[in-house]
Amino acid sequence: MASRVDIAAIHRRLAFPAIPKHLALSAALIAVLTLVPLAAGSYHIYLIELALLNVIVAIGLNLLTGNCGQISLCHASFMAIGAYTTALLMTRAGLSYLVALPVGAAAAALLGAGLGFPARRLSGLYLALVTLGFLEIVQIAIEESPDLTGGIRGLSVPRPHILGFHLKSDASVYYLVLAITVAAVTVGANLQRSRFGRAFDAIRQSSFAAQSLGIPPGQIKLLAFSVAAGFAGLAGGLFTIVVGFIDPTEFGISASLRHITFIVVGGLGSVVGSILGAVALTALPELLRGAKEYSDLVYGAILLGTLLFMPRGLKGLWDTLAKLDWRRVKIWP
Amino acid sequence: MSWQIALQLAFSGLSVGSIYALVALALVIPFKASGVLNFAQGEMATLGAYIGLALATNFGLPFLVMVPLTLLVAAGFGVLMERLVVRPIIAAPEFTVVIATFAVGVIIKSAVRVQWQDNLFTLDAPYVGAPIALGPVRLNPAYLVIIAATLSVVGLLTLFFANTKFGKAMRAVAIDQNAARLMGIGVGSVFMSAWALAAAIGALAGLLLAPIIGITPEIGHLILKGLVAAVIGGFTSLGGAVAGGLLLGLLETYAGAFFGATFKNIVPFCILIAILLYKPHGLFGTAAVKRV
Amino acid sequence: MSLLELVGVSVSFGGVAAVSELSLDIEAGEIRGLIGPNGAGKTSLINAITGVVRPIAGRILFAGRDITNLEPDAICRLGIGRTFQHVELFREETVLENVLTGLYRHQAYGTIGAALRLPSARREEAAARDEALTLLDALSLRELEGELPGELPFGIQKRIDMARALAVRPRLLLLDEPVSGMSEAEADATVATARAVAEERGITLLVVEHNMRVMMRLADRITAMHQGRVIADGTPGQIRLDKAVIDAYLGEEADAHA
Repeated sequence: MASRVDIAAIHRRLAFPAIPKHLALSAALIAVLTLVPLAAGSYHIYLIELALLNVIVAIGLNLLTGNCGQISLCHASFMAIGAYTTALLMTRAGLSYLVALPVGAAAAALLGAGLGFPARRLSGLYLALVTLGFLEIVQIAIEESPDLTGGIRGLSVPRPHILGFHLKSDASVYYLVLAITVAAVTVGANLQRSRFGRAFDAIRQSSFAAQSLGIPPGQIKLLAFSVAAGFAGLAGGLFTIVVGFIDPTEFGISASLRHITFIVVGGLGSVVGSILGAVALTALPELLRGAKEYSDLVYGAILLGTLLFMPRGLKGLWDTLAKLDWRRVKIWP
Repeated sequence: MSWQIALQLAFSGLSVGSIYALVALALVIPFKASGVLNFAQGEMATLGAYIGLALATNFGLPFLVMVPLTLLVAAGFGVLMERLVVRPIIAAPEFTVVIATFAVGVIIKSAVRVQWQDNLFTLDAPYVGAPIALGPVRLNPAYLVIIAATLSVVGLLTLFFANTKFGKAMRAVAIDQNAARLMGIGVGSVFMSAWALAAAIGALAGLLLAPIIGITPEIGHLILKGLVAAVIGGFTSLGGAVAGGLLLGLLETYAGAFFGATFKNIVPFCILIAILLYKPHGLFGTAAVKRV
Repeated sequence: MSLLELVGVSVSFGGVAAVSELSLDIEAGEIRGLIGPNGAGKTSLINAITGVVRPIAGRILFAGRDITNLEPDAICRLGIGRTFQHVELFREETVLENVLTGLYRHQAYGTIGAALRLPSARREEAAARDEALTLLDALSLRELEGELPGELPFGIQKRIDMARALAVRPRLLLLDEPVSGMSEAEADATVATARAVAEERGITLLVVEHNMRVMMRLADRITAMHQGRVIADGTPGQIRLDKAVIDAYLGEEADAHA
């Protein structure tokens, strides 16, 4: 018979802000994150910053892949476009970071739309191949225009001034990244439970049925592509000041696969999953500090293992555990 | 450009193209049989090169013993991959299948890196030597061997698919899986053999390339060119894959000579995207690509 | 003027004609039944009207407008809704979310409104939720709002499909075998609901159904198809006695017994 669920899931989408439990949890999390610079050293602050911008990438990619069902192997390229646009506008054009960052994200979103437009009729394997080709083209374009991008030697980006305030301390950069991440997560969650989020889910599950309801698949895929690319571009723009240096090796196929790993391991189609996956996998190299050379290997194994044995990811695991009746679980026989 | 140079370029183009053709074949054969595109196929070439290296240096096997043994080990690896990774998820969404094969590639590549680091190794082959002058064209023997080996693979495959019972069974499965099953063909064993065959062909590409460019964990990057070749060929035709590989090799070589390296590097991917968007059945193919 | 007008429409699959030069007029406000033995071309006709397949000949006019070559989503936006013979529900979404998805085109807030959850977006979401719940109430599905449809009996899935199609607020609704998988009592209740909802909202219905008993009770007028053509057209009473219709169905039974 039908199982009586998932009331929690509906509430999450329909009434998220009204649920005190979620709000309280988010507030507590943000409060803890606000206190981090008081307690942590600059290396740990740096790690958390990386985790936060990975969360931004994952949220965008999850809307495109987890909700709308479109494969993108070129998310690293969107990130690169955001990063290089932001960096060049600051260093070459002398624009403020406050202007360069959104312009970088918009440039990525625009390219996302530019790629999404011709690709909107493709799906599955074809889309994987097109996005893979796009990744290589962006990679080569960066490497082979050293006058503009610094080529394989990379590009240094100084810590910016914002409204006359120099972001020279680690904490100031951290708070900027944190604020933008909180905003991005909110926007991502809002989009997911809006009519557009439902249209994404509809297209993934049955494009045929979605069309019969008047939902135009081409437009919706285009929207998903540009939103996801915009999020990646934003993360790229943040990356420039978090790391202070960008070079094309950061934005290759392995970065794209890392982004996909975030959402697969976290849980496809779930905002909470994006956060769990990005945070867990950013922390992983830290846990493997004693065995650095194994880190890629472990990454690949986690990705494959999740696909084979835990297709709903950490979010699925979380839901399963939350639903368990613990009084009836016998831990000791 | 003089005709001598044009001829010389054609020779290099064809030899590079032969490698692309092999990788494209290794991509298309299991795709036709099981509907799965193996994004770890580039790492089969990596694996081939390193297995060959290990057999030749650690065990001191002579070249002519090492090569067939390497292909055998690689084929075994193809079987393992089909059994352990592909078969359990063959009915899963396409995304899962694509990313799972990618993950296998990452695992192979990083395992190789753990074992051998990023050092450049060389593999000695008995045929490496001074170029042979044929009129105005100088033929590097290593390139000649690549072309010859590719021709032999194509010839053997043609004979295999046309004349052997198992080859015919594989063709039947590629055309209509359910009909083949009703005819009593073991679809499972056909899948497995297709993956074994493809892994061996991929490994051969790695072995052939090793004496020329050396061995690093990045050999697997070759898959990109193989994909472009397969797409040019329409993705479902073995002849198309070979033709696509040769065409890509020639195109790259001439583009490089005329317009420089940047152009040469970027051209294959522009072709890839253009074909997928505007002529998705390839330049030669007509059949629709559909997952089984 | 007819609401829907088909003029010499032909549909073919790989050279086999599914619908041949078929003409049909449906008046606004009527409930039209479409019957015929298996393979008569009924579902092909629905697919042609909704733009899922392109006719090889003929024209389809909706409210006087040529919709022959429009995309399915554009046709829906003009006011044609449909259900599916084998239900095409979104299996990973709850029943309520399925119906909410049907309201997509009646929500006006844009991406900015959605991203920032502006007051206008909140209001529209609340209104959409009310409308969806009203539809679930009308089809007696209210208590199932939180269920995943894939786990429910087929007859209930058919009702969810109908609720979702009603959410697009169509002027013309095409129902493809709306009571298959239902018990008689369930079928009667669904038919009564469909009639009531159609009258209340001024929806014109075109219903494909095998169940003749249901069809007699539901339809104002029935069109019978056989081998891609119209063989009879009239009131339920006339159709029941029509020789060509009886022959077509008897022929099918004879084939089945052969």
